[in-house]
Amino acid sequence: MAVVAAFLVPGNPLPLLKPGNPPWKPLLGGFARAAEVLAAARPDVLLVYSTQWIAVLDQLWQTRAHTHGVQVDDNWYAHGDLPVDLRVDVALAEACIAGCAAIGVRAKGVDYDGFPIDSGTIVADTLLNRGRVPLVIAANNVYHDFAAVERLAAMAVGAATEQGKRVAVVAVGGLSGAYFDTDIDLADDRIRHTADDVANRGFLAALGGGTDSARAALGDYAAAASPDMGMKHLAWILGATGGFAGATTLGYGPTYGAGAAVVQFDVA
Amino acid sequence: MATGKIVAGFIAPHPPHLVYAENPPQNEARSEGGWEPLRWAYERARKSLDELKPDVLLIHSPHWQTLVGHHFLGVEHLSGKSVDPIFPNLFRYSFDLKVDVELAEACCAEARDAGLTAQMMRNPGFRVDYGTITTLHMIRPQWDIPIVGISANNSPYYLTLDEGTGEMVTLGQATRRAIEKSGKRAVLLCSNTFSHWHFHEEPDLPEDMTREHPQSYTGYKWDMRIIELLRRGEVEQVMQLFPQWVEEAFAEVKSGAFPWMLSAMGFPRTPAELHGYGTVIGTGNAVMEWNFERAA
Repeated sequence: MAVVAAFLVPGNPLPLLKPGNPPWKPLLGGFARAAEVLAAARPDVLLVYSTQWIAVLDQLWQTRAHTHGVQVDDNWYAHGDLPVDLRVDVALAEACIAGCAAIGVRAKGVDYDGFPIDSGTIVADTLLNRGRVPLVIAANNVYHDFAAVERLAAMAVGAATEQGKRVAVVAVGGLSGAYFDTDIDLADDRIRHTADDVANRGFLAALGGGTDSARAALGDYAAAASPDMGMKHLAWILGATGGFAGATTLGYGPTYGAGAAVVQFDVA
Repeated sequence: MATGKIVAGFIAPHPPHLVYAENPPQNEARSEGGWEPLRWAYERARKSLDELKPDVLLIHSPHWQTLVGHHFLGVEHLSGKSVDPIFPNLFRYSFDLKVDVELAEACCAEARDAGLTAQMMRNPGFRVDYGTITTLHMIRPQWDIPIVGISANNSPYYLTLDEGTGEMVTLGQATRRAIEKSGKRAVLLCSNTFSHWHFHEEPDLPEDMTREHPQSYTGYKWDMRIIELLRRGEVEQVMQLFPQWVEEAFAEVKSGAFPWMLSAMGFPRTPAELHGYGTVIGTGNAVMEWNFERAA
C-alpha cells in the first residue's frame, strides 16, 4: 500500500511562533507525537494540501525543488518570522500535473524564486516533517468542491504508487472557524464559542469512528462550526487514503479562538 | 500648519495582469502586452495624479486581508520581491517603497479612537501584497510619493456585510481626520475590481485578448449601472444598492476599499470621471477619479 500514514494538522503559525504559550502546548504535543509516528512510517514523500494556499485559476502544484528563506505571515507578523527550508519531490509533482489532465482538471507547476509558501505548509513541514522528507504541495483552488479535492488526492496517490513511493498524506487546516476579532491576551486563548468546542469534540470523535462516521458527521459539523474551508482538507485525506478505519486525536486546542487539532488516521 | 485635505480619490483596480502586460523592469515576467484599454485608462489617471502633486497616497488593498483589526504599514522603507501566490506566472515584482509612517500612525490612532481594532505593522521583512503594488505601480510607476498601506480587515466576510461595511465607513472617517490634522495633500486609492465573476482556467497565452470578455453579463450590467451612477454623482444611490451589487456581481468592493474611500471623501456628490473600463479574466475593472481640485 502506498499510503503509510495520514494526518490532519493545523496551519495557524502561532503555536510555532510562540511555543511557550500554555494554550498551544496541547497542539505542539500533538505535533511532536505525530512527528514520531511519521518518522516511523518511513515515507518517501508527503502529499500536502493546505487550505491557506489559495488558487482561483487552474490547479497549482509546487515544483520548485528547494525553497529556502524566511516568510512573514500577513496576520501574525508581530510574533516573529517563519524560516523556510523546504524540498519538493519535483518528479512526483510533475506526474500529478500530468495526472490532472486525465481527471479533467487544468493544472500547472509553480517554480519561482521568492514564491510565498503559505504559512500552513511551513508549519506542517517544520513541526510534523521537520524538513526530513520531500513534499508534494497542492494548492486549494477555492472553486474545487469536496469531491474534486478527493479526486485530486486519489490521483496524486496513484501517481506516487506508479513511482513506487511510500506516501504520507498531510491535510493542513483548522477546525471551527470563529476566531477572536479583537486583541486578546494570548495566554488566555480558548475556543471562542462553547458550541464550537462541543462541535469540534464531537467531530473529532466521529473521525475516530472511521470513514462512514466522519462522512455522516460532516454536514452537521460544517453547519454548526463553520470550519476552515468547509473541512475541504479532510477531502484530501479521504481521497488519498480511500477511507480510514479510525483516527486518534493527538492534540486539540485553540488558535486565537479558532479550533485546531492534530489527528492521526488509521490507514493500515 | 494648513489643514490637510483629500485632493482626489481613484478607483484603481489591481489585476496583476496590467503590470505583466506593461513589462516594467521591476517585474520578472515578460508579456506581449494586452489589456491596453485599461492600461490607457491608467495613463490618463497618472497624468491627473501628476498634476495634483500630492504629498501622500493612501491605499486600501483586499489582498492584505487581516483577521484581527485594521493594519497599517509601519516601516519607513520596505523592499523585496512580491510574488503573487495566485498568479506567480505573471507577477514577480521587486518593490521598493517609502511609507509615510507618521500619517499611518495617525490613521491608526484615529481608528482606535473611533473604537476600531487597529495596529501598526512593524516587521521590516514584510512582503507587501500584490494588490497594493499593482495599484501603486499603475497609478504612479515612479514610486516617488510616500504611501500609507491599509489592510482589508475581514469583517465584511466574518461579520454581516452591514457590520463590515460600517467598520470601513468608520475607518474612512478616521482616515479623513488624520489627513486633515496632518496638513498634507492626500490622494486615496481604492484598489478594487467591480464585478468579480471570473474564468477558472487561464489561456496558454494569458494576454491572448481573443479570450478576454466579461465572464458574466449580469456582472457587466452591474458595472455599467454603477459607473453611470458614479459619473452622475449619485453616490447615495450606489450605497443603497451596495448589498445587492455585492451579491449579484460578486463585487470585490465587498472587501472594504470602496466604502472606506467614499466615507473618507464624505460620500461626495461630485461626478466621478471614468478614465476607462475593461475586463481581466472576465472581471470588470473601472479606473475612475474624483478630483476635488478640479471640481472646486
